[in-house]
Amino acid sequence: MSVATITTDMNIGPFKIPSNGQNMIMNNYLQRKNIKVEFVIPEPMASNQLATTQWCHKDYKFSKVILCSIYQLPKEENKLNDLIKNMDEVEFHFALEGISGTGKNFLLNCSNEVKVFLNTEKLDSSKKNWIELYSLFKSKNL
Amino acid sequence: MTDLQEHIINGKGYAILPIEDLNNFNKLRDQFIEKMQLYTKEKKLEKLRMTITSMSKSQINDLMVSLLSFDQASEILVDSCKNIVSSLSENEIFLQRRANIIFNLPGEDQRRQWPHYELMSGVSPFTYIMWAPFHDLDDDGGVFYLDQNKSFEMIKEEHQKGIVNGPTILNKEYNEKPPKLKYGEVIVFNPFILHGNINFKSNLARIACSVRFQSIKKPLLQKNTDFFKFYKV
Repeated sequence: MSVATITTDMNIGPFKIPSNGQNMIMNNYLQRKNIKVEFVIPEPMASNQLATTQWCHKDYKFSKVILCSIYQLPKEENKLNDLIKNMDEVEFHFALEGISGTGKNFLLNCSNEVKVFLNTEKLDSSKKNWIELYSLFKSKNL
Repeated sequence: MTDLQEHIINGKGYAILPIEDLNNFNKLRDQFIEKMQLYTKEKKLEKLRMTITSMSKSQINDLMVSLLSFDQASEILVDSCKNIVSSLSENEIFLQRRANIIFNLPGEDQRRQWPHYELMSGVSPFTYIMWAPFHDLDDDGGVFYLDQNKSFEMIKEEHQKGIVNGPTILNKEYNEKPPKLKYGEVIVFNPFILHGNINFKSNLARIACSVRFQSIKKPLLQKNTDFFKFYKV
């Protein structure tokens, strides 16, 4: 039984985190939780299925895996189901959200939470100044 | 618009209200005292407040970071104020994952929150803040608030200079006194309200809890799942 951190493509939902940044985030989380890591799995750029992780799991039987965010879970339902089926006893940790859990319900809840966030409008902060944001606060609350 | 919405959005921008479910809020305070047993054996809040005054700034910082693992605090606080929250943001909200437990120490040169707007952290303009002390505020250890008109004047003044949260507001002398909230009261404010701490004299530290939330029907700005979680009130 072993513990692995997983880095993925730098585009993670709304975040853009290079892999060394992902490692820093996960290592800080692990330090706070007092968890020791044995494996570092680099998922390929543009991959969004956590397939490498699942292949490695067959050989190394992970007890815990650590990711940066719930946004790194597969978006396609069948791919998410594969992950749930293949790694149902593994404890998943998501460092940015600071949450962890095991099994189908936990992973489906995480995936559903991602959907709620994805369905919410985002303001582009680089195109808005404070005066405009204040006007928006006033007008959109009417 | 409800009276509260009118007050928070178009009026002063902040309001002091009674906590609706005080029994639930008592649980939050009691769980906090229990968690503090890891650091100090004090079981009475007043003694705890006194012990905190003798801690160094870095010890207090460590303490505040470790209290971030108190992840039920945000839910307990909003559940204690369900009508307030749903009146501003309906029932389905993005709720700050980890409420802040904040210590404010008496005396000069102590750690304190400099004047700021919550918007500076990247929360959306539709995020509201609730702040509640764990005890009566008998001294000036609370937070001062500038009403919405004055706050916006400061934003405009800084905007003209091309700065945000700069020396204009940091160096200004504020005459506003912190409202003396009683235990069981909460202050709710919008993210454009300028607020901060002032130096105060006391033998006791101030301890308060704050949480941020917004409707899922309103747009997000920079904060996302790293800061918020989906929650039904």
